[in-house]
Amino acid sequence: MSKFVDRPRYTCALGGALATLRAIPRVIPIIHASSGCGHNLHNAINPGAGYLGGGYCGGLALPSSNVAERDVVFGGENRLREQIASTLEIMDGDLFMVLTGCMVEMIGDDVDAVVSEFEDSGKHVIAVHTPSFRGNSFTGYELVFDALIRKFIKRQPGKDKGFVNVLGIVPAQDVFWKGNLREIKRLLGKLGLRVNTFFGEGETLEDIRNAGRASLNIVVSDVYGIEAARKFEDVHGIPYISTGFPIGADATSEFLFAVAEALGIERSLAEEASESEKQVYYDYLERLADIYNDIDLQRYAVIVGDSNYAPAVSRFLSDELGWLPELAVITDFLDERQKNILEKRFENYESGIRPMVRFDTDASSVKRYMADIWPRNRNQRYYDSMNPTVVIGSVYERELAAEFGYPLLTLSFPVTNRVVLNRAYAGTNGALSLAEDLFSILVAGR
Amino acid sequence: MNYLDAKSAPAREDRLKTNIAFGGTCAKLKGCIRAGCFGRNGCLNLADRRFSQTQGCQFSLSLSILNTIRNAVVIMHAPIGCGSCTIGNVGVNRIFKQLRDPSAEGVIWLSTNLDEADVINGGENKLREAVLYADREFRPEAIIVANGCVPALIGDDIDSILADLQAQISAVIVPVHCEGFKTKVMATAYDSVYHGILKNCMELPERRRYIVEPDIEKLREQYRISRNVNVLNVSSMSRQDELELQRLLNALGLNVTFIPCYAEPEDFRYSLESSLNVSICGTHDDYFVEHIKEKYGIPFLIDTIPIGRKNTDRWLMGIAEHFGLESEAKRLIEQENKILDESLEPFRKALSGKRAFLAGGEVRIMATAEILQDLGMEIAGFKAHHFDRFIEPVFDAIDGVDDVVMEVATNQPFEQSNLLNRLRPDVLIAHTGGNNIAAKHGIPILPLFGPSYNYMGYSGVFEVARRLNRIMRNSQFNRKLSQHCRLPFRKEWYEKDPFAYIKAQDAVKEDAV
Repeated sequence: MSKFVDRPRYTCALGGALATLRAIPRVIPIIHASSGCGHNLHNAINPGAGYLGGGYCGGLALPSSNVAERDVVFGGENRLREQIASTLEIMDGDLFMVLTGCMVEMIGDDVDAVVSEFEDSGKHVIAVHTPSFRGNSFTGYELVFDALIRKFIKRQPGKDKGFVNVLGIVPAQDVFWKGNLREIKRLLGKLGLRVNTFFGEGETLEDIRNAGRASLNIVVSDVYGIEAARKFEDVHGIPYISTGFPIGADATSEFLFAVAEALGIERSLAEEASESEKQVYYDYLERLADIYNDIDLQRYAVIVGDSNYAPAVSRFLSDELGWLPELAVITDFLDERQKNILEKRFENYESGIRPMVRFDTDASSVKRYMADIWPRNRNQRYYDSMNPTVVIGSVYERELAAEFGYPLLTLSFPVTNRVVLNRAYAGTNGALSLAEDLFSILVAGR
Repeated sequence: MNYLDAKSAPAREDRLKTNIAFGGTCAKLKGCIRAGCFGRNGCLNLADRRFSQTQGCQFSLSLSILNTIRNAVVIMHAPIGCGSCTIGNVGVNRIFKQLRDPSAEGVIWLSTNLDEADVINGGENKLREAVLYADREFRPEAIIVANGCVPALIGDDIDSILADLQAQISAVIVPVHCEGFKTKVMATAYDSVYHGILKNCMELPERRRYIVEPDIEKLREQYRISRNVNVLNVSSMSRQDELELQRLLNALGLNVTFIPCYAEPEDFRYSLESSLNVSICGTHDDYFVEHIKEKYGIPFLIDTIPIGRKNTDRWLMGIAEHFGLESEAKRLIEQENKILDESLEPFRKALSGKRAFLAGGEVRIMATAEILQDLGMEIAGFKAHHFDRFIEPVFDAIDGVDDVVMEVATNQPFEQSNLLNRLRPDVLIAHTGGNNIAAKHGIPILPLFGPSYNYMGYSGVFEVARRLNRIMRNSQFNRKLSQHCRLPFRKEWYEKDPFAYIKAQDAVKEDAV
């Protein structure tokens, strides 16, 4: 039984589906819903994802049936039929995906039947049921994959040994999705793999159509994309591994070893790749050796983020930057099994640090946990305060950070106070960017 | 007008016969008004499109007002996605509120997160929990409950739950019934919001009562009220706009209160100690001021919007006439115009002859066109969000637009893209949203409004001229985009009549594919 949410850090299934489709070139979504759904969601996704913009067919250009109360009387099916036909006339695309909103699902429109009438149109038209009440953005990502896997991706019994797909990075919800995918792809390239990330630079709809020949799906998440990977296994016979989201040299090495093992690639190749990554990484990171130690740039940290970022950032701060992550709040809807997996990610840090982990969807809760992690100032003469601290979260943490006087780096959705283009936080290059951004805050006044 | 016994405000398609689909020229539009095409049985009543793009709903537009109310928590009684557009507002909302009250907090909202189980069982418990949490955690002055399509369709009895909760908490609960599917005219949102405010926030403020009231106190009170006007602001205007209008009205000796945007709930009570409600834009306020007039006897003025010189003159004169301050107003208007006129000269040199396309709210685009004509520019076309009778007074201030293209569409960038391709204006002055399409036409774009810029009053004319001049000096950003980024519409579309997809009411049943 779910509860209300104080300032949700995601949109709905329809929003997640729209953001996912926005990341694929030449896909035209057709929203079958009330007139406001697409507009509202664009106005959440665009600013929340560091001003992602509507893209090729995004934002207010999204075709939408805009069914209203007076359509409900007759059902929205005629209106949808008309809208699909006119969309095919006007919009220039290669794949048309009909996404549903709450209202048409509730009045029982037979969307699949209407869509099936367009089988002979010479265009791919696919229906996905994405009413908001089915779940949040992450659900929308899974639902789009479900439809692509079942209805669009070609079945290919022969698998290509050196070819893999990457799942688990949700466009827009991961504000740095495109940069992160580039980095993951680069790292896998070091193992000699050819990689389809579905939404990466230069990738096309054709690459998605051919995703069925991959010999492994690599899910760089403990939570997102797992359903898609299972579906891939069922429908296309592709096995999957789930690696967690890598940030930093250690996590990158583990990631490379895990992939190598799953594919039966020689360990020495992974070792070589990991070693060369570390060399470049420490060549850069070493630059901080002076200033870090000259002026003491160790910080306490409070991390508020999704299931990918919170564990990855926390461990990177602890084991590579030598910081003290005291509290990590994971803001997703999760079941007990998922919580257990995520909690393990905070154990056995090399530093010996053990952050307090909380699962909470409410923006106002974070402040309460701050009181739990540190003894209160009881007006004693000498008080060991949790200071200096950096908050790493979303833009919702701005008021919390201001109240405690801590600086804030926003990296988890929503990020409305930064413009994000090709920046990445994943892998080794991403970890360097994260280090740049964190330490830049600390030296900004110098 | 009295709709307050009803649960919610009526849709504007019904109340005002508002139209959202028309294509032609201004002359044709005027002809249609005369011929009654927009009336109940008119050919344009409930006209729509065979192809449509997402256009916004009254829920999200309601939030653009509700989210500005200070010291309030907004509960979105809906699935998790509804109202998520507030994300775009978290930062600026706090800043704009703090321009009115430095200690104000940013927008706080809760989603009741209705899921599949709630669709079957009803979402009443979640609503109850959310209201109690909001009251306990944030101690706001008001808890605003905006409900989306899902509770409306499952038939949650929101009003009785809230009435029951009102007895348990200290905040005032304001239900706003703004489910998106009820209307295609987004502007119904203004009525829905005011409906909630009228029913829950308006009562005469408690004042100290005298046992025996001395005449002098009574006169003082009456005098105070006789100089008070409420100016009904809109969330698309800026604090600078407010200060400019306040300056002009103060110059006439009037005191100004701005409601509803960025007001505190209790401000609505004090607004009843006033002698005139002044609308800035007919699209926003008629529902509110008519009801207030009926219930509290406060007269109102809905005429033009104070954008552009002629409109500002007319807006000020209208207010002055109400107070018998015509000669003062005339002097003020004369003086303001003289200084402004001189200051516009350099911009006239740079901008004269340039052609502009205007897109946005019906009243606002017409009024902004007056500024452009003042600068010697030409109007290449209009796109109005919707159309109703409130456009008429603004038509008076602009000349020679009979042959100018007039499109009525809420968003629908495909039609606008076709028009821009045909008309090739030098500049687009446009409402927010959808501009990623317009940008790829390579022309410079000036926002039609902006909550951090001045557009209104005399200073607004200068500011628009100044910014327009700046924006037109370098449009390389959009030009480069147009060279490298494709538009999503097929070539064939640009060969078709831009209004080819407009259809009469319910045509869908006959000519469905």
